Amino acid sequence: MDGCQSGVPTYEGDLHVVAAAHHIVKALGATKNLSDDLRKILIDLDSHLSMITSNIDSKGGRGLVDVEERLDQAERKIMRWETDPMMIWDSGPKEASDYLEAVDETGKLVDGLRGLSVHENRKQKEILHRAMNILQMAMSRLEEELIHILVRHGQQFEPKHMYSRSIRKDIVYDESFVSVEDEPIKETSSRNYSNDESGECIVDLVHADVIPDIKSIAKVMFSSNYGPEFCEAFISVQKEALEQYFSFLGTENLSIEDVLKMEWTCLSSKMNKWTWSMKIIVRVYLASEKQLCDQVLGGLGSVSSYCFLEISKATILCLLNFGEAVAMGPHRPEKLLRLLDMYETLACLLRDIDTLFSEEAGSFIQLQFHELLERLGESAIAAFEAFRVAISSNGSLYPFAGGGVHPLNKYVMNYIRMFPEYCNTLNLLLKNQHPGVADQVTEPDYGLDASLLTSCPMAYHLRSITSCLESNLHKKSQLYKDEALQHIFLMNNIHYLVQKVKGSELRLFFGDEWIRKHNAMFQQHAMNYERATWSSVVSFLKDDNPGSSSMSKSTFKERCKGFSVAFEEVYKTQTSWSIPDPELREDLRISTSLKVVLAYRTFLGRNLAYTDDKCVKHTVEHVENSLLDLFEGSSRSLRNSRRW
Amino acid sequence: MTWSKGGTICFFFLNRKAGKESRVSVLRTSLGPSPLNSSQAILSSNTTLFHCKNQLQQKCNAFKRKPSVFLGENQYQEVIMDTQEQELEDIELFQKHVSDRFTELSSPPEDDALLSVSWLHRLLDVFLCCEAEFEAILIMDRDPSQLSKPPFDRLIPEFIERAVKALDICNAVANGVDSVRHCQKLSEIVISALDQNPLGDGHAKRAKKALLMLLSAMNLDDKEGTHVKATERSWSFGRRGVNKEQIAGHFRSLSWQVAKNWSSAKQIQSMIYNLVAPRGAEASGLPSPIYTMNVIMIFVMWALVAAIPCQERNGLPTHFPVPKQLNWAHSLIGLQEKIADEWKKKEKKGMSGLLDELQKMEKLAQSLIDFTDSFHFPGDAEKVKEAAANVSELKEIFGRMDQGLTPLQMHIREVFHRIVRSRTEFLDVLEKGSAPVV
Repeated sequence: MDGCQSGVPTYEGDLHVVAAAHHIVKALGATKNLSDDLRKILIDLDSHLSMITSNIDSKGGRGLVDVEERLDQAERKIMRWETDPMMIWDSGPKEASDYLEAVDETGKLVDGLRGLSVHENRKQKEILHRAMNILQMAMSRLEEELIHILVRHGQQFEPKHMYSRSIRKDIVYDESFVSVEDEPIKETSSRNYSNDESGECIVDLVHADVIPDIKSIAKVMFSSNYGPEFCEAFISVQKEALEQYFSFLGTENLSIEDVLKMEWTCLSSKMNKWTWSMKIIVRVYLASEKQLCDQVLGGLGSVSSYCFLEISKATILCLLNFGEAVAMGPHRPEKLLRLLDMYETLACLLRDIDTLFSEEAGSFIQLQFHELLERLGESAIAAFEAFRVAISSNGSLYPFAGGGVHPLNKYVMNYIRMFPEYCNTLNLLLKNQHPGVADQVTEPDYGLDASLLTSCPMAYHLRSITSCLESNLHKKSQLYKDEALQHIFLMNNIHYLVQKVKGSELRLFFGDEWIRKHNAMFQQHAMNYERATWSSVVSFLKDDNPGSSSMSKSTFKERCKGFSVAFEEVYKTQTSWSIPDPELREDLRISTSLKVVLAYRTFLGRNLAYTDDKCVKHTVEHVENSLLDLFEGSSRSLRNSRRW
Repeated sequence: MTWSKGGTICFFFLNRKAGKESRVSVLRTSLGPSPLNSSQAILSSNTTLFHCKNQLQQKCNAFKRKPSVFLGENQYQEVIMDTQEQELEDIELFQKHVSDRFTELSSPPEDDALLSVSWLHRLLDVFLCCEAEFEAILIMDRDPSQLSKPPFDRLIPEFIERAVKALDICNAVANGVDSVRHCQKLSEIVISALDQNPLGDGHAKRAKKALLMLLSAMNLDDKEGTHVKATERSWSFGRRGVNKEQIAGHFRSLSWQVAKNWSSAKQIQSMIYNLVAPRGAEASGLPSPIYTMNVIMIFVMWALVAAIPCQERNGLPTHFPVPKQLNWAHSLIGLQEKIADEWKKKEKKGMSGLLDELQKMEKLAQSLIDFTDSFHFPGDAEKVKEAAANVSELKEIFGRMDQGLTPLQMHIREVFHRIVRSRTEFLDVLEKGSAPVV
């Protein structure tokens, strides 16, 4: 249609062309079965052609004079603003549309005059020259107006989860294996935002009201061949806005050297922040930017995607670079979860990226993205292996006082408790680690089907981690000289292991069989403890001649003494031992009580005749009560105590 | 990768005694005899390279661990002697290749001026080739524990540290290429404004506006901060009541920065720091290729920084000491001197970068701005003709940039990834070497 609008038909030939075109349009319009759209176009065309014809008819051969008049008019409208301090689009829609009309008119005149330039005509050349001058002025002005509109109506948005996140306390795992206590960790809730909250939402980066204005500026600039200027201005404003937003999110550019040197706590929070900003930038900001580009520049071929790429490329590369630096760093075990976060973030943004940068020019970004994903995956695997190695090689020179739950155990169990959340990712990454395991696996998504979960790669690796842990704990138990304490230590630790597994999603991966086996294990250690400690003590109370009614007084005296010395010794040592779990402690006391108190009572009952003798140092109640003091973790003594 | 011009043939001559192959020549055989071209070849060579390394590793391990099974004691000694001799030959060959490649670089063909886009492509190719060969010599077929002993326990970590610095430079330069691309886009406007017949005042104004933006974009490169930006552009709309602070001119964006206060000049300085040529017995052994590679890496990064505008280049060293008596270094030293001279000139005149295309573009922009300043329709015929010649030259430069810049950016990225990979390889070796033997 644009071709019909060049409104300068000054010569006979043109008149004929216009008339012929008009005729054809009329004829076409008379056709019956036309779509509404097409009919509308034909009607528009028809009225436009009649206007041209009537212009020519009424003014006869005054072509150039008419053109000059029209140019004068347009020039007045355009020049008026050159001295006006106000911005046109701020002054009102009427002003803006008047201005655009004048520019449009100038453009048409330029096109028309150019089309006729074969006819050497001085006057005509002069008018063309003037028109071009005016057009240049107008274009320059439109560029300013564009920048002004973009800046003035650009909208900042605040991601809603910004606040919920800042409350969250980052749990930082470090290499020391001591920083983790057993507080319930609400990691689950804080991770949820990744899945639902930041789901695709597109915002208006520029106020929706001014989009038509920008579009009309784009249209007139492109049709006058000032497209490069438009893109230049548009890109520079939007690029700066994105960068401002980037720093508003608190993300800063870091050199690789800096990242590699960074302390873990700091790096950990940067990694967190990266995961979060990456999502917002890609899912929200870039998706919105893409929409803006398409709204403004759609229909202009590849211009929209070119502008989008130029606006976003630098920021995306910045983000990717941080990822590269992290993947490059030493693969410490504590990095694993953060690495998995980053990996999952990229993996879930992959499709967005592929859509945003689908054109050939953007394939560079796509490629970098995919490569980084791969490298983060490799790093995560390496960190996983490092975790296993760290567990196996964690050595101690001295036994852990009291025989309680070792910090390594706490660290490892609390850490792997979070693995189930990364189940699918870990399965994917670990699949190729042990080919034997991969073969069993055909289903990539294990869902919550218990029978499958225990045989997924992650389950295999979890069990291998705990078995590393177990063998390390066995090694640590050998540091105790006292056999009974070895058993207490192992009982405590295996019990802890089982509790952690049972009390979390881990149980689905370890399976009932594993739990049964380990339950039996710590119970065995409990029994071994009893045997190791109490067999010798209780042996004093044994009746050598079950047939006879009672033993001699001297034997009784001797036995009594032997028992109380042994009991006091046990009391003194084992009050300093520790069984942190109250239930386990209680159970062990009860079963000890059953064994010891019962034997003592029977012993005393059999020898009632001597019981008032001084040689009975402890009453049954004393013994029973004293047993309650065991395993509290603070050493006591019965000998000097005047408790009874 | 669309770039295929000016590639260097990078692999390796088969020149061994009958029946013996050096590491270097094994590489070559596995890569096939065809002259490999540029980055494409390098890309495809990576997998082969590693595959071939593995094979060789297995072969050698079998050898070393159980010599007595295969060989008598005397024969074993011979193998060790052979290996040492082999190593010396490999080093020699490596240095010969380095020398050849830099000689080729210092006598570029006609259309391939020093520090032009296509020359930089060739420079990066040289780097990739040398790096591959270097890695082969140092890592392939080597007992890792050897590299964790002195002096390697110092030399290799130092090399790795330099490699990390080089990575940041790669990023800075890649950002810089973006700003050169920006100049290219502006030159496109200039071309489309001036490539008119007849030329009108409107065209001249349009061109002038783009030219001013072009020159300010060119000259921003070393300046820190963003204050320049608003004022730089205010000539076009300062008169209106627009909040200048908010207006994005041709500001040097944040993404231009590698990091706050980062300086490419300082980065190069710190790469040079502590670099000492091996002396005495070390000069003929493995320390010497490590030194060579250090020098190559520094040279390549230094040349990139000199050529392409990037963050804070003030104080870029113009010299780093490489002993002249080293045979392989002749051409490199020659190139270094040439580039250093250019750089000194640049610092005097305050030009934007040594990139050949950019320098030419700047000159053309200067004379075109003079032209547009004084132009009044219909203009002096002689001057219009001269301007037209300038425009067509600008067009030619635009074309070269259009073809070469985006691939250059990718090429730099490729170098980046290669350095990352090689760093990982070296770290692995160090780790293996320092681990207790199981």
